[in-house]
Amino acid sequence: MKILTTIKKVVDVELTINVEAGAIVEDGLQYVMNAWDENAVEATVQLKENNNAETTMVSIGGGEDNTKIIRRGFAMGIDNGIQIDDPTLTEADSSVFARVLQKVYEKEGYDLIITGKQAQDTDNGQTGIMLAEYLAIPCVSNVIAIEVLDDQHISVSRLGDNGTEIVALELPAVVTVTDSINEPRLPGMRGLMMAKKKKIDVMDLSALGTSFEEVGGTALKSEIVEFMKSETREAGQKFEGDAADITAKVVDLLVNEAKVL
Amino acid sequence: MAKVLVIADIKQGALKGSTAELLSKAKAIGAEAAVVAIGSNLEALIPELANAGSDTQYIADDPGLELFSAGPYASCVVDAANQFGADLIWFSFSESGKAASPRVAAQLGAACATEITDVILNGDQVEIIRPAIANKVKQRVKINAERLVAVVRAGAFEATEGISGTENVVRLATPAADVKAVIKELISDATGEIDLADADIVISVGRGAKDQTGVDLIRALADDLGAGFGSSRAMVDGGFMAHNKQVGQTGKIVAPTLYMAMGISGAIQHLAGMNGSKVILAVNKDPEAPIFNVADYGIVGDLFEVVPLLREEIKKIRS
Ligand SMILES: Cc1cc2nc3c(=O)[nH]c(=O)nc-3n(C[C@H](O)[C@H](O)[C@H](O)COP(=O)(O)OP(=O)(O)OC[C@H]3O[C@@H](n4cnc5c(N)ncnc54)[C@H](O)[C@@H]3O)c2cc1C
Ligand SMILES: Nc1ncnc2c1ncn2[C@@H]1O[C@H](COP(=O)(O)O)[C@@H](O)[C@H]1O
Repeated sequence: MKILTTIKKVVDVELTINVEAGAIVEDGLQYVMNAWDENAVEATVQLKENNNAETTMVSIGGGEDNTKIIRRGFAMGIDNGIQIDDPTLTEADSSVFARVLQKVYEKEGYDLIITGKQAQDTDNGQTGIMLAEYLAIPCVSNVIAIEVLDDQHISVSRLGDNGTEIVALELPAVVTVTDSINEPRLPGMRGLMMAKKKKIDVMDLSALGTSFEEVGGTALKSEIVEFMKSETREAGQKFEGDAADITAKVVDLLVNEAKVL
Repeated sequence: MAKVLVIADIKQGALKGSTAELLSKAKAIGAEAAVVAIGSNLEALIPELANAGSDTQYIADDPGLELFSAGPYASCVVDAANQFGADLIWFSFSESGKAASPRVAAQLGAACATEITDVILNGDQVEIIRPAIANKVKQRVKINAERLVAVVRAGAFEATEGISGTENVVRLATPAADVKAVIKELISDATGEIDLADADIVISVGRGAKDQTGVDLIRALADDLGAGFGSSRAMVDGGFMAHNKQVGQTGKIVAPTLYMAMGISGAIQHLAGMNGSKVILAVNKDPEAPIFNVADYGIVGDLFEVVPLLREEIKKIRS
């Protein structure tokens, strides 16, 4: 089985993010592999270990940080790495990324595409599902387990509104995975060293056989006009001391001040 | 006049309150509002769908639609959107909405926006507001496409009192089943407990509760209050709480009147699911726990000691 796994470089959400004049302040930001893509990579490597898959990852983006996340993917156990580095794509939306990924898919052909359920910078949760639409292949999102049935079929479990849905999928297909599917492995020293020597297949859009216009870049369906700070909650009253006293005090406040009990 | 199509949020045969919230917003922006209901055995819901504030009800009612399947579900929405001539297509915050919206957008060549919290109409120009980066920032987004498919974040819109509509039913053809993605089984998570989304008070348990004894202790408080009983991811991963109880970025988004975080540190992914609550109470033995940065009331203490005291105090005021 040939698996294509998508990984995105995202801003580290654990750090402070400042907004000034409608834009995110770049200074002081750090970049990491999207957490849900780490789950996608882990799921892929487990399929490789248990079912002999040939594994390829693709990341659309440029710069040193993007190279770093691809190296991390190698260190976790992915065989091949493709990087689509094209300066025109900096403002791209999920639909455009899905069109680019469609080209990557069509170049080689794969049996299974695994994406994260959502990118931590956009919080869109759209790219994998749109990719499947564009390729006209089946898709299951929010997946928590993947099991290979035979060469042409897998069974996946997804968390739906009414419980866990077990779906038989005909390949080729797209699945988007959520964080409860696995615990991503931490690459060891040796893996990281080996990953440094691996060759990344870097391409721009023309090398991929497409253009900015063809992937919808010149006709964006929506555009971010500005970023704003989120309303932050103020820390309220915090009580320390004798448990019985402070508990009685807080219940009194919930009843008489907040009026919520 | 803009035309809004709202996808009815139906769970276990019942229409969720979010449907009326979205329809109210549609009317508030001066749009014509229709609803599409997809499932099985929907007949009894039709008057309710109209009363929720819709003037046309597109109904896709077939035993084959009983279990959610994103392909046919999206086809029904596309069909209704085309018949109605919808400019704006709104899903409630749900796993089915998250799964179907990008498909509908791709098929209609529409823009797609998830977790929107507001819609602004300026003549023909549509803009939306949505959080991103785990709620750390908000985006204002200009829609260039003719149509917008959006998932509305839980709690973003309010239902207008006394809203009404008219019954005007249009039956939709049943789309073909997706033969390449076949639902084999649904392992239902229905427990009979109050749905977190509907609860006025939500009490969530975190790793601080340690094990089943701690969970049961806190559940008793939730039972006393008739509160929804939620969880951090740590207790779901630990096998103590069901997946559908998880509050946070990968779980449920809740905005109750009162949220109680019991032994929860306040990781950003957890906060993203509950920081829209009206009042937050946190119990944590670590005075430096980040949950205290968002809590209106904080009790620094051992939950095994504090929770029984809370139950006692609440019993006192309730009697
Ligand atoms: C992609 C991604 C998505 C995620 N999605 C979610 C999500 O949807 N929801 C979610 O919750 N998490 C989510 N997480 C996980 C999140 O980052 C945290 O790991 C998780 O919320 C921690 O749960 P916790 O607060 O219960 O545990 P911990 O962080 O371990 O905190 C336990 C707290 O209990 C306190 N405590 C210990 N003993 C006691 C006691 N006896 N009395 C009182 N207090 C005590 C401690 O001081 C501590 O603050 C996600 C993570 C990632 C990477
Ligand atoms: N620039 C990108 N490069 C590689 N994969 C991407 C990119 N953008 C999105 N994806 C994949 O699509 C998923 C969903 O992204 P989004 O639709 O932005 O939430 C991510 O978890 C990635 O797996």
